[in-house]
Amino acid sequence: MRTRKLLTVLALIPALAWTLFPLLWILTASFKTELSLYAKPPQWIFSPILENYKRVLFNIPFFEYLTNSLLIATGTTLGSLVLGTLAAYGFSRTRFWGSQALRFLILVTRMVPRMTLVVPYYLMMLKIGMLDTYTGLIIAYISFAMPFSIWLLIGFFDDVPLEVEEAALVDGCTPVGTLVRVVIPIAAPGLAVAAIFAFLVSWNEFLFALILSGVHSKTLPVVIAGLTTDLGPLYGEMSAAAVMVMLPNVLMTLVLQRYVVKGLTLGAVKG
Amino acid sequence: MGSVQSRRWFLVPGVIFLLAIDMVPLVYSLWVSFYEWWLVRPRDIRFLGLGNYLMLAADPAFRRSVLVTCTLTFGAVLAEFLAGLALALLFAQPFRFLRPVRAVIMMPLFVVPVVGATMWRLILHPEMGVLNFYLGLLGLGNPQWLADSTMAMFALILVDAWRTIPFMFLVILAGLETLPAELYEAARVDGASWLQAFRFITVPLLAYIMLVAVLIRGMDVFREFDIVFVLTGGGPGTATETIQMLNYRVFGLGHMGQANAIGIITLILVALMCYLLIRVVQRSR
Repeated sequence: MRTRKLLTVLALIPALAWTLFPLLWILTASFKTELSLYAKPPQWIFSPILENYKRVLFNIPFFEYLTNSLLIATGTTLGSLVLGTLAAYGFSRTRFWGSQALRFLILVTRMVPRMTLVVPYYLMMLKIGMLDTYTGLIIAYISFAMPFSIWLLIGFFDDVPLEVEEAALVDGCTPVGTLVRVVIPIAAPGLAVAAIFAFLVSWNEFLFALILSGVHSKTLPVVIAGLTTDLGPLYGEMSAAAVMVMLPNVLMTLVLQRYVVKGLTLGAVKG
Repeated sequence: MGSVQSRRWFLVPGVIFLLAIDMVPLVYSLWVSFYEWWLVRPRDIRFLGLGNYLMLAADPAFRRSVLVTCTLTFGAVLAEFLAGLALALLFAQPFRFLRPVRAVIMMPLFVVPVVGATMWRLILHPEMGVLNFYLGLLGLGNPQWLADSTMAMFALILVDAWRTIPFMFLVILAGLETLPAELYEAARVDGASWLQAFRFITVPLLAYIMLVAVLIRGMDVFREFDIVFVLTGGGPGTATETIQMLNYRVFGLGHMGQANAIGIITLILVALMCYLLIRVVQRSR
């Protein structure tokens, strides 16, 4: 057993190096002066500076883009939570002809290639004058986030005992009141997970933002991708921007661990 | 008192919203794909029937993009599957210190795709990048990662693998954890080697989950856009121009009829893969 343990630890080293090396490199690069960025051999120990962060924050209108990203992500989260909760509650509590097929159809909408959607979506938004608006992006992102929210929340609502609801109804609660005052508080952890995932869907999305947004609604991924065009002189700034945009996501990893597998496979594993 | 069945009306707004946001653009896209439709000439729209599709079928750029997409999909999924399987077997061992490490291994999955690609672009930079320095120390030369056609494809596979090996890993690990330990005990008692236990217990019992994971990832890579856009932009030249990148380029030219036609073709190809996935899932039930 001891040799096996030792071998496992040895095998972990390349796996961890592969995973962490790029992240650590970018993290260190973001604190480097131009001189130490160019240094050969690469420096892993150096005196850190905050210049790169200052330049990103104040030279490009970073806060404006951050606001865009945050507002759009918040809108997506709220919208997909409201619609997703209602739909998941409906699915959880009722069976009717075709309800299984409908659940499945919702899952399948996730498979539609985004590029196939964005071209006609662009033409439609152009026609009704909604290009470069928050709303245009939020509507699209809600539809990306919802299939997962619905499937996740169905599982949580299924676990809420029906007797609790019946008691509330006897006490004179309306169906909506029962959902809001009784069911949602019990399923709150599920809603929290669905909210975080919806936020990340919006925070990470690139293609729709690239095509639909303009000066008023540009989000951070589009800004980051734009910086790549003239790479050389911006190495430090780009590293700093990358670290800042990555930070919320990496923190979420710790919160979401338990739900990740479920979310990624949308229940495919458990069937 | 409303019966529980009346709750079905709760799902109406969400379902209608979702189907509308997906179906309306798709139907519209199909319609546009039958027309000669340039964005800059909105008054000059002509019906072509299947003209856009026929033109694409004869277009060498489109054919090449299909080949590029298939190469990328095959390469990336194969790399991710093998690495994910190896990691999952490693982490399925009963050591307590593996738990916190698992959280670290998962991290790339959460990195914004565009940011991950940007990060790798900085690392792969032939002069300023850090990777080539260490490769040089190992005597592996100075590969021009993004400037060489073959290496650019390799770089795309590498970066996609970095981001999504954890996916394969987590799905396969979840499957491994459901396997009954008694089977392995019995095999050991019968004198089976580790390799035999893997070949005759693990593989057959996990075949379903592995196939599902491979198909899901296959569909994802097939539709990949962010990483290709940031890393190579389809270049050098058109060496890594996937169907999605070609679609983006044609869209950028304002050739809406053809852009929509490419989109519809992608949809059909992905739908075929999706159908395959559904068949697999159904057969296992």
